[in-house]
Amino acid sequence: MGWRIEKRPAVSARMPGWVFPASFGFAIAVGACIFAVLGVNPLTAYGVMLKGAFGSFFHFSEVIVRAIPLMLTGLAVALAATMLLWNIGCEGQLVWGGICAAGAGLFLAPHLPPFLVLPVTIAAGAAGGALWALIPGVLKAFLAVNEILSSLLLNYIAIIVMEHLYFGPWRNPEGYGFPGTAQLAEAARIPHFFGTRIHLGLVLALILAVVLFAALRYSRWGYRVRAIGLNPQAARYAGFRIKGQIIGVMLLSGALAGLAGMAEVSGIHFRLQQGLAVGYGYDGIIVAWLARLNPLAVPIVALLLGTLIVGGEQLQAVLHLPASISMVLEAVLLFGLLLSEALARYRLVRRPAAKDAPTTQGEAPS
Amino acid sequence: MMEDLAFIGQIAVKSSIAVLLATLGEIVAERSGVLNLGVEGMMLVGALCGVAAGVATGNPVIAAAAGALAGGLLALVHGFFAITLRVNQVLSGLALTILGMGMTSFVGRPLIGTPPGVRLRALPIPGLADIPVIGDILFRQSALAYLAYILVPLCWFVLFRTGTGLKIRAAGEDAAAVDAAGIDVNRIRYGCTFVGGLGAGLAGAYLSLSYTPGWKESMTGGQGWVAIAMVIFATWNPLRAVIGAFLFGGLTALQFYFQAVGIELIPAYILKMLPYVLTIVVMIVVNAGMGRRRFSGPAALGIPFSREG
Amino acid sequence: MTVSVPPVLTLNSLSKRFGDVYANRAVSWTLQAGRIYALLGENGAGKSTLMSILSGRYQPDSGGIQLKGRPVHFQSPAQALEMGIGMVYQRFMLVDSLTVTENILLRGGPIHLRANQDIRHIRELAERYGLAVKPEMTVRDLSMGERQRVEILKLLHRRADILIFDEPTAVLTHTEIEGLFAVFRRLRAEGKTIIFITHKLEEVMAVADDIAVMRRGRMVSQLPADKVRSRHDLARLMVGREVILNVDKPPVTVGDPVMTASGLTGPAGTSRPAFQDIDFDVRRGEIFTITGVAGNGQEALVAALAGLAPLDGGTVTFGNHTYSAARWRQRPASGMAYIPEDRDRTGSIGAFSLVENYILTQLNAFGRSFLVDRHQAEQKTAEAVARFQIRGGGILGPAGHLSGGNLQKLILARELSRRPDLLIAEQPTQGLDVQATEDVWQALLRQRKTSAVLMVTGDLKEALSLSDRIAVMFRGRILDIVSARDTADIDRIKLLMAGIEAH
Repeated sequence: MGWRIEKRPAVSARMPGWVFPASFGFAIAVGACIFAVLGVNPLTAYGVMLKGAFGSFFHFSEVIVRAIPLMLTGLAVALAATMLLWNIGCEGQLVWGGICAAGAGLFLAPHLPPFLVLPVTIAAGAAGGALWALIPGVLKAFLAVNEILSSLLLNYIAIIVMEHLYFGPWRNPEGYGFPGTAQLAEAARIPHFFGTRIHLGLVLALILAVVLFAALRYSRWGYRVRAIGLNPQAARYAGFRIKGQIIGVMLLSGALAGLAGMAEVSGIHFRLQQGLAVGYGYDGIIVAWLARLNPLAVPIVALLLGTLIVGGEQLQAVLHLPASISMVLEAVLLFGLLLSEALARYRLVRRPAAKDAPTTQGEAPS
Repeated sequence: MMEDLAFIGQIAVKSSIAVLLATLGEIVAERSGVLNLGVEGMMLVGALCGVAAGVATGNPVIAAAAGALAGGLLALVHGFFAITLRVNQVLSGLALTILGMGMTSFVGRPLIGTPPGVRLRALPIPGLADIPVIGDILFRQSALAYLAYILVPLCWFVLFRTGTGLKIRAAGEDAAAVDAAGIDVNRIRYGCTFVGGLGAGLAGAYLSLSYTPGWKESMTGGQGWVAIAMVIFATWNPLRAVIGAFLFGGLTALQFYFQAVGIELIPAYILKMLPYVLTIVVMIVVNAGMGRRRFSGPAALGIPFSREG
Repeated sequence: MTVSVPPVLTLNSLSKRFGDVYANRAVSWTLQAGRIYALLGENGAGKSTLMSILSGRYQPDSGGIQLKGRPVHFQSPAQALEMGIGMVYQRFMLVDSLTVTENILLRGGPIHLRANQDIRHIRELAERYGLAVKPEMTVRDLSMGERQRVEILKLLHRRADILIFDEPTAVLTHTEIEGLFAVFRRLRAEGKTIIFITHKLEEVMAVADDIAVMRRGRMVSQLPADKVRSRHDLARLMVGREVILNVDKPPVTVGDPVMTASGLTGPAGTSRPAFQDIDFDVRRGEIFTITGVAGNGQEALVAALAGLAPLDGGTVTFGNHTYSAARWRQRPASGMAYIPEDRDRTGSIGAFSLVENYILTQLNAFGRSFLVDRHQAEQKTAEAVARFQIRGGGILGPAGHLSGGNLQKLILARELSRRPDLLIAEQPTQGLDVQATEDVWQALLRQRKTSAVLMVTGDLKEALSLSDRIAVMFRGRILDIVSARDTADIDRIKLLMAGIEAH
C-alpha cells in the first residue's frame, strides 16, 4: 500500500494538547455528515443546539443541571479507571443511590429531627451506590470475576428493582396510577440556587472533584491507587494489598455514582420515578476518558456533554430530530478521542520506496 | 405435565437463540485475540437493519442477511480501532455499544410500531417435528434457530479441526509467534472480528424478525452483555456455548410460563432479573473453578499486535 | 581461491535508527554458503537489530541486502522465510498451547490440518539432523532445548537455507549446547549457512568458522575463526578497551544466620514443583549466591522467599521467628529488601517520577499522616541520585526514561535505604554495561558489611567474583553448596549446573 503505521519514537506520557480539540472536531465533523445525510443543514442543526444550550441563562442553567450527575458519574468512572478497574455499573449504582435517597426521604424522614433529614438522605444515596458497587468489587477481588460484565449486568437488575418499587410497594397511593413514589418532604430536598434547577449537587460535585484530585495526587492512598493502576506487578512487589484497594475504590466509586442518583431524586424529581436511569452512568464513562481520568477536568467535560444533551433535546423540540443524536455524538466523540490518541502515539510513514531492491516474487503479504 | 415441559422447552430454545448466535460470534472474535464489547450495539444495529430491510424488500432472507451484515460492518469499526490503531479494546467496544444504541434510537424512530415487513415464523421440520416433546422443543422453531443448530458444530469444527482455526487460535494465543510463521495476524483478526459482528447482527435480526417481531428501542435488553459473559462460561468453546445460552433461555421461559399459568409463586420482578443474576452466578462458578481448568481464555485476548512494539 | 564462489548473502551499509539512537550504522557483511558465522558483541551493540533486519522483522532505514546476488527487500519475516532466511529468536516464537506438529504446520492450508505428507517430511528432517522431539507433545510441556529443536524444524520444514540464532545457548545446559553444535555442523554439511549471536567466547572457538564483531551499532571486525590467536583478542574487539573487572573483595567477618530455609517446596506446577527440599542459610557478612541455568527453579524460589508467591512446604527462620510455609507470606514485610530481576515491570513504575519510584517500597517511611511527605521524599531521592550517580533527567522526570544501569542504581539505592537485615538481589547486573555492573557490584560488596546478601544469578563470572558461598540449583533442587574461595570448585560448578554431580 505504500503506507504503514509506525510507533512514534520517544513516547511521552503526556498527550499533546491538540488531542482533545481534535476529538471534538472529529465529532463535530461526523455529526455534520449525519445531519447532511438527514437533509438538515448542519449549520442550522448546530445553531439550534448552541442556542438551546446557551441561548439564555435558563438554557445554560439546564446544561449545568445535566452536567451535575455527569460530573459525579464521571468522577466515579475516573477513580476506578485510575486503578485499572472498569466500573461500567454506574447506572445501577446511580439507581440505587436514588432508591436509597428516596427511601430515606420518604420513610426515615418522619422519624428524624429536621436538621438530620438532608444529611441522612445524602448519606443514604452514597451508601446505596457504594453497596451496589461492592458486589462487583468483591467478585473482582476474591474471584477475579470480570468487573466490566458483572457491574454492567447489575445495572439491569437495579433498574428492575427500581421499577418494581415505584410500580408496586412504593407507588404513590394518591398518584392516580402514575408510576412513581410520593413526593419527598421539603426537608429531604437539596437546596436550589438562582431560582433555577441548579442544586447543591453542583457544589458537592465540584468539591469532590478537587478532593479526589488532591487525594490521588498527594496522599499515600492515592499513590497506591495510581501505582496499582499503572503497574499492578510493581504494586504487588511493593506489598500493597490489592484486594483491599479494589474493594475500597469500588466502594468510593459507587458512592460517587450513588450521590448522582441521590441528587437527581432529591434535587430534580423529588420522587423516585421513571426517568432516573437515562444513561448518566454510561455517559460517565465518556466523561472520565475525555477528561483523561483527571478529576479536575471532569467538570469541564461534563459541561460539554451536558451541552450536547440539552442541545439534542432542543433539536427534537425545534427540528423534530430524535434527541438521541446526542448519544451518537457522544460515541463519535469517544471514537474521536481514541483516534487522536492513536495518532499521537503513532505516525503514518511512507514505506521506504523499493528503489534498488524490488520486492520478492509474487505479491507482498503486508 | 408433558405439554408444560414441551411448552417451556420450546420457549427456552426460542429465547436462547439470540444469545447463542451472539456468543458464537464473540467466541470466534475472542479466539483470535480481539475483545469486542460492542455486542449489544451490534445486536441493536442488526435488529434495526433486519426490520428495515424486511420492510423495504419483504424478503426474509435479505432481511436476516442485512441484519448480520450490519453487525459485521459495525464490528469492522471496532476492528479498525482495536487492530490497526491498537487502542484500548474495552473503550473501543464500549464506544461501539453506545454508538449502536444511539444510532438505532436515532434512525429507528420512524420504524417503531410499524410491522416488520417479514416474520420468521416457526417452521416445523417434517418428520422431526412430530417426535414427542423433543420435536416440539427443537424442531418447531424458526429458520434462524436451525441455522444456529448448524453453526454450533460448524464453528467448533472450523476452530478445532481446520488449518484456519489453528491460525485463529494461535493468533489469540501468541501473535508474535504467528507473525514469525509468516501469517498475517491482523488479517486473521479482522476476519474474526467481522465474523463476530455477523453473529451479533444475526442475533439482533433474530430478535426483531422472529422472537419479538418489530423494532423497539433497546430491544436487546442486555442480551449482548449476557452473550459476552457466556463466552467465558463456554470457555471459548462453541459446543459449550449451547449450555450457557439454554440456561439463559430456560430462565426466560420460566418467566413466561409463570405468567401464562398465572402462578404467583415467585414475584414477576424476581423472575425478570433471574437471567441477569444467573449470568453473574455463572461467571462466579466458572471463576471459582478456573484454577483447575486447562483453558482460561486466549492468552493474547485484548492485546493488539505490533511487530516493532 | 574463494573468489569464484559468489556470496550467499551480502549486506550493504545497513542502517537502522530507533528515535535518535542508531542501532545499526552502515553495517556491511558478506557471507558464504556452508559456513557457521558467530556474531559477537556486547549488549546493545546492535546484533539483534541487525538480525531482525535480515529476517524481515525490521526494515532498514537505508542500505540493502543481496541474496545470492539478487537485491531483496523484506517487508515481513514471512517474505524473508520465503526467500530462505529464517530466525530462531531468543524468545521462542512458538504457541505454547499448541502441539509441536501444529506449530510447525501453522502456516499450512486452510482445511487440512494433518497433512500426512508434511508429517512425514518433519519426521525425515528430524532424523536427518538429529532433532529429536515428539510431534504430538504440547509445546508448554517441552524443555527449552526441545523447543529450540522445534524452532529449527519449523525453519527446515519451510526450506530455510540461512538460519539465524539469537543467543541460542543462553537457555541451554552444557549437554544441550553440545547437541546444538552437533546440529549446526550437520546443517553446515548440508550446505546451510548458520549465523549465531553470542557473547560467549568459548562457544565461538568451539563451533564458528567465521567471526564478526559489532560494537555500538557498527561492524568493527570480520575474521576467520582460525585467525584468532586468543580469547583475549576477541574480548578486546568486543569491548573496545581492555577491561578486567578487578573486584576488590574486602574480608568481612561472617556473623549469625539471618535467614534459614529448611525443606522449602514450591507449589506443584503442571508436573513437579518448581523447587523442592531447599535447605540453606544466609549469614550476616556474606554474599550467598544461588546459581543455575535459567528455568531450574531459582525464579520461583526467589519469588516465594520475597513473599510474592506461595510456598507449599518447609519452614523459614528469619530473625528470631520461624515461619511455616503458609505463614511466611503473611509475615509483615520488614527487615528484607528485594531487587527483582525485572526492573522495568516489577522493580519500578515507568510513568512514575524518580521520587515516586524511590518511595515505592517504603511508603510508610514518608509521612505519618494521610499525605505523602513530598519534601522529605524529594530530598532523600536527590541524595540517592547524588550518592549513586544516577544520571538521566531530574528527580521529577519519569523513571521510564532512565537507562537500565541508572534505573538499577535507583532501585538499589531505594532497597539499601530500607536498612534491611537481608538483601535479595536477583540477576542484579543483567543487561547492564560495564560501568554500571561495577557500581552495582561494589554496592553489593559494601552491603555485606551490614547485612546478609542473597544473590541469584545465572552469570557464573558474577557469582564467582562476588560470592562467599555458591549454591547450584538444577531441576528445582540445590545440588550442592560450594565455597567460592576454592578455585578448584569452579569447574565443578559448571558440571553441577548441567546436573552432573559426580566428579
